[in-house]
Amino acid sequence: MSPDILDEASVIWFGPQHVSAHGWATKLTLVGDYIVECDPNAGYFHRSAEKCLEFRNFRQGSMILERICMMEAFLAEYPYIAAVEKIVDLEIPERAKIMRTIMLEFNRIHSLQFWWGQFAGELGLFAMLLWPWVDREYTLDAFEELTGSRHTVSYATPGGVKYDFTPKFHAKMEIALSRVKERMPVFDDMLAGSPTFRLRTEGVGHYTAKQALKWGLSGPNIKACGIPMDLRKDDPDPNLAYGMIDWEVPTTHNEEHPGECDAFDRLLQRFKEIETSLDIIDKLLPLLPEGPIIDPKARAKVNRLPEGEGYGRVEGTRGVTSVWLKTMEKAQTPWRAKIRGPCFASYYSLKHIVPGARFADFPAIFGSLDPYPGWWDR
Amino acid sequence: MQQFDFYLWLSGLWDWIWGVLLWFWGILKWFVIWILDVIDGIWALVALPENFMFLVRAILMPGLIFVLFALIFTVWYTRKIWARVQDRRGPTHVGKYGGYQLFADAIKLMAKETIIPLKAKRWMYRILPSLLLVIVLLTFAFIPWDPYWNILGAPGSAFPDLSVSLVLIFALLTAVPVFSLLIGWVSGSKYSLIGGFRAANNQFASEIPMVISSVGPAMLAGSLSMFSIVAAQTSIWYVVLLPVNFATFLVASIASVGTFPFDAPVADSEIIFGWRTELSGIYFTVVYFAEFAEQMLYSALMVALFFGGFNGLPFLPGIVNFLIKWLVIYFLFTLVTSSFYRLRQDQIVHLCWKYLLPLSVLNVVLVMFAVVYIPGLLPLVIGG
Repeated sequence: MSPDILDEASVIWFGPQHVSAHGWATKLTLVGDYIVECDPNAGYFHRSAEKCLEFRNFRQGSMILERICMMEAFLAEYPYIAAVEKIVDLEIPERAKIMRTIMLEFNRIHSLQFWWGQFAGELGLFAMLLWPWVDREYTLDAFEELTGSRHTVSYATPGGVKYDFTPKFHAKMEIALSRVKERMPVFDDMLAGSPTFRLRTEGVGHYTAKQALKWGLSGPNIKACGIPMDLRKDDPDPNLAYGMIDWEVPTTHNEEHPGECDAFDRLLQRFKEIETSLDIIDKLLPLLPEGPIIDPKARAKVNRLPEGEGYGRVEGTRGVTSVWLKTMEKAQTPWRAKIRGPCFASYYSLKHIVPGARFADFPAIFGSLDPYPGWWDR
Repeated sequence: MQQFDFYLWLSGLWDWIWGVLLWFWGILKWFVIWILDVIDGIWALVALPENFMFLVRAILMPGLIFVLFALIFTVWYTRKIWARVQDRRGPTHVGKYGGYQLFADAIKLMAKETIIPLKAKRWMYRILPSLLLVIVLLTFAFIPWDPYWNILGAPGSAFPDLSVSLVLIFALLTAVPVFSLLIGWVSGSKYSLIGGFRAANNQFASEIPMVISSVGPAMLAGSLSMFSIVAAQTSIWYVVLLPVNFATFLVASIASVGTFPFDAPVADSEIIFGWRTELSGIYFTVVYFAEFAEQMLYSALMVALFFGGFNGLPFLPGIVNFLIKWLVIYFLFTLVTSSFYRLRQDQIVHLCWKYLLPLSVLNVVLVMFAVVYIPGLLPLVIGG
C-alpha cells in the first residue's frame, strides 16, 4: 500500500476491554471503513497454566487445563491424561474408553452450542444468541448429574474415569441429545437459512487450504477448506473408542471457490461437527459393556511416575489440543509441561485474513475462526 | 462663591439614603407588580375555556404525561416481546407480568455513576442527550390521536393543526442524527465517533425513502396535515391501496431508528455501543428512552398514515381505536427488529437506496396516475 493511504489511517484497539474481545487486544489500522492492518497481541490473558502444572501432581494437573477453556473443559483436560498414560503403563478398561469418548463428544456438542450463540451474538441476532444457550442448560444438567459440576467436569483420571454412568445420567443425556437433534433444523434455519446471515458471512474472511496448512490451523477451520484432517481418524488414541466404530470425517466444500473457505463454510462445518458427534455417541452407546471403570492399580502407579516423556493430543472443538509432559525419576509432579492450544494459530492468522475487510466484518471473521485467549496465554 | 458646608451636606445625607431606598422599593414594587401582572395575564389566558383545554391536552392527556406513560409502557412491551422471542427469563418473571424489571433497570441505570471522559467536551456532553429526548418528544404534538383530543388541531380550538405537520415531523427528526453525531464527537472516543458517523449515514440512507413513502398517503388525501390525512381515511385505510408504500415505510423507519437489524451505529460486537459508548447513568437512560420514543413515534406515524388513525370501530373513542392499532403496529415493528442479523453499514445504504428508494418513487408515480385516471378513486380516498 502506498504511504499516503496510511496518512489518513486511524489506529483502534479492539480489546482488551472491548465487549466482544474475549480478553484479547488486537490493534487495527483503519482507513475509512476498511482494515488495512491487523496486529494480534497475545499476553492479556496470561495465567501461567504451564507453570501451575509443575506444582500439581498427576491427578490434579488436569483441573488446571480445564480452566484454560471452560467451554471445552473435558476436551481440554483429556490431553494431559493421555500424556500421563503414555508415561506410565496403565490398562484402561473397555467401558472407561467408551465412556470417555462419549463424554468427549458430548462436551464437543456443548462447546458448539455455546459457539452458535456466541457467533450469532457477534453478528447481532439476540434471539439466536439465547436459544442455543437455553438448550445448553440441558447438556449442563447432564454433566451435573454425572460429575456434580456443570462446566469443569474433570471426568477422566489416569487409568479410567471417575464416575460411572447412572440410569439418571442416561435419561438426562437422552433429553439433552434429543433436544439438540430436535433444534438442529431450527438453528440451521436461523443461521444458514437466514438471508441476512448469508449477507454477513459469505465471502468474508476467506483463505485457501494451502494458507490454512501454512498457518497451522486445525480442526473445523481446516476441515471447512475440504481437508479431512482429523486426529480422531488420523491418529486414534488407543485409550479412546474412535477406532471401534465406523464414522466419517465431516468436511465442507465451497462450490464457488474449491479449496477455499469463508465464514459461512466454517459455520456449516461446525454444524457437521455436531452431527458427527451425535452420530458417534449414538453408535457408541449400544457398545457400552459392563465392567470396571478404572484400572485398580492406577492410583498406586500414578503417585510416582518413572522418567519419561509423554505427548497426548485430542481433536478439540477448536482444533488440535495437545500437552507434552517431561518427568524425572519418581516424579510426583511434571518437570516441565507444555500446552499446545489450537487457537494461537487461528488468532495470529487474523493478521493475514483480516486486512482488506471492512471493520464490521471483523467480528464475523474472528467469530467464525473462534479463537479463545486461554489457549495462547497459558 | 459659596463655600462647601459640610454640616449642610451631612443633613442632606438622610434624604439621599431615603431616596435610594425609595428607588429600590420602586424597583421591587414594579417587579412584583410585573410578576403579578404576568400571572394575571397567564391566568386570564388559561381561564379561557379553549386555552385551558389546550393546556390540559398539552400536559395531560395526549401530551407530555400521556406520552411519558406510553414510553414506560413501550419499554415494558418491547422487552416483553423480545423476551418471548429470545427465550429470556427476566422480563417475563420479575414481578407481576415482569412489570418490575423495567423499574429495576431504570433505578439501576440512574444510580450508576456518571463518568465523563477526560477528552469529552463537558457541557455538550451534559446537554445533548436531554436535547435529543426533547426533540423526539416534541414531534408527538403533531400526532392526531383523536378526532377532538389532540394537542394541536382540535376542531374549533385556538390552536389549529398546522397544514404542514407531516413535513414538520420529518423536519424535527432530521435533528436526531445531528445529535447522534455530536454526542459521538464530543465523547472523545474513536468508537463513539465511528458510531456517530454511522448513525448520520444511517439516517441519511433511510430518511429519503421514508419521506418519499409518506408522499403516497399525502397525495391521496390531498393534504400534508396529519389530521387531514387521518380524516380522509374514513372510507378506506390507505394500507389497502398502498401496501408497498407501507412496507417501504416500515423498513425505512426501522433503519431510521437504528434498532436491531440496522443497528450498525450501536453495534456492540464492533464498536462497543457506538455513539452511546461513553454515556453512562442518567445520560444513557435518556438516550435509551429517546430511542424508544422514536420507535413509538414511527409506529404512531404508520397508524396515522396507513391504518386510518382514529377511524375504526365506531362505538369506541377515537383514541382507543388509535391505541389498539398502535399496539398491533408496534408489535409488528418489534417482531421485525428481533429476527434479523445486523446489516453492515454499506448493506444498509445499499438496501435503502437500491431497493426502498426506487420502490417508493415508483409508488408515487403510480399514485399520480391512479388519482388522475381511475374515476372512482378520488371520492373514496378523500373521505367523508
